[in-house]
Amino acid sequence: MSVLTVAPTEIYESGDSALRVVAISQASEDNWLTVHRLADWLESCGAEGLHGAVPTYDSVLVEFDPILVSARQVRAFVKLGLLELDHAGEGVQTPREFDVPVVYGGDFGPDLELVAQYQGISTGEVIRLHTEKTYTVRCLGAPAGSPMMDGPAFPKPVPRLKDPRLSVPAGAVAVAGRQAVIAPASAPGGWCVIGQTPLSVLNIRKEPLVPYKPGDILRFRQIATEDFNEFLGMDLEPLELERPR
Amino acid sequence: MSGRIHIQQPGNSVVTDLGRTRGPRFGLPVNGALDQYSARAANILAGNPDNDPLVEITALDFRMTANTDVLIAVTGAPLTLTVGGRPCSQWEPVSVRAGESVSIRGIHRGLRAYLAIHGSIEAETLLGSAAPDTVVGFGRQLRDGTTLVTRRSVGPVRQPYFDLPLFRLGLERPSMGSDLLVDVTDGPDVAEFGESGELLFTSEYTVSGRSNHIGLRLGGELPERTSSGEVLSRGVPVGAVEVPSREELLVLHRGRGVTAGYPVLAVVTSTGLDVLAQARPGDKVRFRKTTAAEATAAHRRSRAQLETLRESVHTVFGLLGIGCRPQWQDLPVAACS
Repeated sequence: MSVLTVAPTEIYESGDSALRVVAISQASEDNWLTVHRLADWLESCGAEGLHGAVPTYDSVLVEFDPILVSARQVRAFVKLGLLELDHAGEGVQTPREFDVPVVYGGDFGPDLELVAQYQGISTGEVIRLHTEKTYTVRCLGAPAGSPMMDGPAFPKPVPRLKDPRLSVPAGAVAVAGRQAVIAPASAPGGWCVIGQTPLSVLNIRKEPLVPYKPGDILRFRQIATEDFNEFLGMDLEPLELERPR
Repeated sequence: MSGRIHIQQPGNSVVTDLGRTRGPRFGLPVNGALDQYSARAANILAGNPDNDPLVEITALDFRMTANTDVLIAVTGAPLTLTVGGRPCSQWEPVSVRAGESVSIRGIHRGLRAYLAIHGSIEAETLLGSAAPDTVVGFGRQLRDGTTLVTRRSVGPVRQPYFDLPLFRLGLERPSMGSDLLVDVTDGPDVAEFGESGELLFTSEYTVSGRSNHIGLRLGGELPERTSSGEVLSRGVPVGAVEVPSREELLVLHRGRGVTAGYPVLAVVTSTGLDVLAQARPGDKVRFRKTTAAEATAAHRRSRAQLETLRESVHTVFGLLGIGCRPQWQDLPVAACS
């Protein structure tokens, strides 16, 4: 369990109702931990007028109601939070693990060939590199709480599609740049879709709507096309819970 | 007693509220009424808490009837409001008898109207809000034949003194038209645009027809980013002004995806977002630079007007017995003049 080294930060005004806090140490892991722990602290401090915090890689957007609190007060909260993190110093929560069955290529992964060609490797090698890695959920992003993750060890960053798709189906497993993601809901998208999971990632009748949190661990596992329907309609759940495999 | 409202002509309308403020933490946009001032005003005029579910009507004509007596208020863009065929005032409470048709026609000089019903309407919530989220498939787009359940009925409200107008609450209505002035503050990444960032304040922009609740696309002279490094995905504020392509400026509104990788040139103020909520395709937009402190002062002034309105409504409703026993009989006439 790692002890948090709080990264130095800079605070930028982002309109009249938000601040952007950026962690600026050389260690990206410290930056990431700092902004997420700060977001958790701001969430739990119960300060009136704070709407919430959106942490990503090295920054956190802090949103507030300017009628109830001033930007100056929110800055003071942020600084207090960073001090608290420095003093608290305890390790991060034990991550939960998720196993994600994926059908690669074909209609399920229309860009698999494209990615393989661009990387100069076989489609099998793309799948091997994608399933080999253990992914940490870095943050929840758009759309719909997508799990944003550092991508597989491809030789080169993956370019975005020249013509983004108007609709990418829920469950699409995609890569772009040095990042990897699963689409929880159908939405437009410009990332390369290499596969699809039959599991339901998003459930709007549950809270939270997606089962993973930043810091949790995901692994992709290749399944055969004919097994897709076997998993269809099941929810993505952490491995500790019983789920037929 | 609860009642039912039948939608006969839905136009383009949804049940919404002031938004899902807890959403961004979970990767969902805040959404909710795009013109927050008009939405709050409608609920206040109907005697409701500000955040109660209400109907947002965009651009197209709308018609409904209620099977009980209700009290409504319509705010937002100028339009023609009739109840049972009688012309009625916008920005005032309006008494509607059971069976009368409420018709909203000819929305102009703006894009969105808000219809609040005293006692509000039943609505499912997601993370504490009824606001639709088209991406996750939540919320209620009204259709022909949709039935809404009102939480409370109000007996017909009659004017106790001669034929004086029932209400004349005198709320300041937002100015609307086809030339919009929108306040912005410098964005966190303004330095990345160098001197070209000033173009935002010297150029005039035209609202594209491809604009929606997620963002407005504006044509005109575009500031250019001087740096070129890949930007890590970051949380973006509502109101963020970005230059994602060489064709258009993008101003994110309440339906925006919470994270993105484009630098933020400027951020539209809270009151500026209400102005943009009413922008029609083809309208002209000019941006004016302000500071967060000035923006907040302006926002607080406009909210103070709504607080004054709330007190007036509370007093008037008390006198007329809306939601309680009438008290006007006890008052000397002078108090009502």
